[in-house]
Amino acid sequence: MAVVPVSHLRGPVNARLLALLPAAIAINLVVGGLVNAVGLPLYLDSIGTILATVLAGPVVGMLVGVVGQVLFGLINGYQWIPFGVIQVVIAGLAGLAAAHAGFRSTGRTVVWGLLTGLVAGSLSSVISYVLFKGVTATGTTAVVTVLVKFGWTLPVAVTASSLTLDLMDKAAAFLLVGILVRALPNRMMGRFPRAARAVGR
Amino acid sequence: MTLAPGALAARAHPFTPLVLTVCIAVTAVALPGTEAAVAVYAATLLLVIVAGAGRAALRALIPLAPLWFFLLLLHGVLGGGETLTVLGATLSRGGLTLAATQAARLGAIATASLALYASFSPARFVDAVAQRGWSFSLAYVVVATLLALPRFRARAASILEAQRSRGLRLRGSPFNRLRAIGPITFPLVLGALAEVDERGFALETRCASAVERRTALAPPPDRALDRVARWVGIAAALAAVMWRLLA
Repeated sequence: MAVVPVSHLRGPVNARLLALLPAAIAINLVVGGLVNAVGLPLYLDSIGTILATVLAGPVVGMLVGVVGQVLFGLINGYQWIPFGVIQVVIAGLAGLAAAHAGFRSTGRTVVWGLLTGLVAGSLSSVISYVLFKGVTATGTTAVVTVLVKFGWTLPVAVTASSLTLDLMDKAAAFLLVGILVRALPNRMMGRFPRAARAVGR
Repeated sequence: MTLAPGALAARAHPFTPLVLTVCIAVTAVALPGTEAAVAVYAATLLLVIVAGAGRAALRALIPLAPLWFFLLLLHGVLGGGETLTVLGATLSRGGLTLAATQAARLGAIATASLALYASFSPARFVDAVAQRGWSFSLAYVVVATLLALPRFRARAASILEAQRSRGLRLRGSPFNRLRAIGPITFPLVLGALAEVDERGFALETRCASAVERRTALAPPPDRALDRVARWVGIAAALAAVMWRLLA
C-alpha cells in the first residue's frame, strides 16, 4: 500500500494518505507551541508541510499547508489566511529539494532550507506590508517597531525582519525534517518511496 | 469554547456560519475607509451576539490586543505626516486613521472566525458534506485534524515534561536552545508517523477510500433562514467588491 499523490480528493484516496494528512496538519499546528518553550524566534509551523511533501509528494504537502492554514485561521482568526500561499511555496520547494536528494546530508538540507526561507521571507514581507501594514506576529512586529524607531522605513523594516526570521525558521525546519527522514527505519521508508529518494537511498 | 444553550449559531446549518465568515472577511477588506471598516466590525459584533456566540467576541480580543497595540505604536506613535495631540502625546493623524481602519478590519475578521469555531460541530459538518455528495476525504481531513489536535497538544505537553524531567535544558545560550528542539519535536512527529499505518487500516476497513456517495445519518436541516442569510452575505460581499472596483 504505497502512498501515491492525489491530484484532487474527489476520487478514491489511499487510506494511508488519508491518515497521514491529519497527522501532518496537526504537527504544523502543534510544533510551533512546543518550540515556544525554548524561547527562540522560530515558528516551525511548516514541519508537517515539508514532511508530508518528502513522504508523499508536493501536492500532498500543499494540501497539508493550505488545510492547516485554514484550520489555524479557524482557531486563531482568519486574518492569517493569506499566509497560506507561503505554505504552498514551501511545499513546492520542498518537493524540488526531495526530487534532487536535497535531504541527503545536513549541508544540502540547510542550503535548501535557506533557499526556501529566502523565497518565503520575500513573499511574507509583501503580504505583511500590503495586507497587514507591517503588523503581524508579535515577535516579528516588535523587531519591525525597533527598526522603524531607528529610522528605517516601514517597507525596509518589514522586509528585513521577515527575511531574517524566515531564513532561520525554514533552515531549522528543513534541518529537523532531514534528520527525521534520514532516521526513519527501513520498514517505514519502504512505504514512502519518495522519502528514500529524498535522502538519496 | 461553548455556545449559549439553544443559540442560533448552534442550530444553523454548518455551511451558514462558514459562508458568512468568508463574506465578512471579504467585505471588511474590500470596503475602503475607516467608517466602513468600523461599521463592518460593529455589524459583525451585533451578528455574533444575536447568534448567541457573544463569548467569541471576547475571546477574539486575546489575539487582537497585541495587534491593536502594535498598530497604534507603529503607525500612530511612530508614523509621520501631520500630527495631533491626544492626552499630551503627539500622534500621527494619518497613522491613527490607518491604524483604526486596520484594527477594525482585523477585529471583524477575528470575531467572525472565532464565532465560526465556537459554532462548528464536526459531526454535523460531515453529515452536511455527505448530504451534498461532496468529497468525504476533505471533510474527514478537516474533522480528523480538529479532533486530533487536543490529543496532539496533550502528547506535546507530556513529551516536554518527560524530557525536562530527564534533564533537558530549555534555556541558556541560543545554541543550547536550538539543540533542545530535536528532543522535544522528534518524539511527537515519529509517534504521529507510527500511528499512520494503524489509522490507515482502520479507515480502509470503514471503506473511507470508496467513491460511492455516502448517506448522511442525520443531515442538518437547511432552513429558509439559513439560505437567506447565506445569499444576503454573498450579495453584501459582492456589492462591497464592486464598490471597491468602481469607486
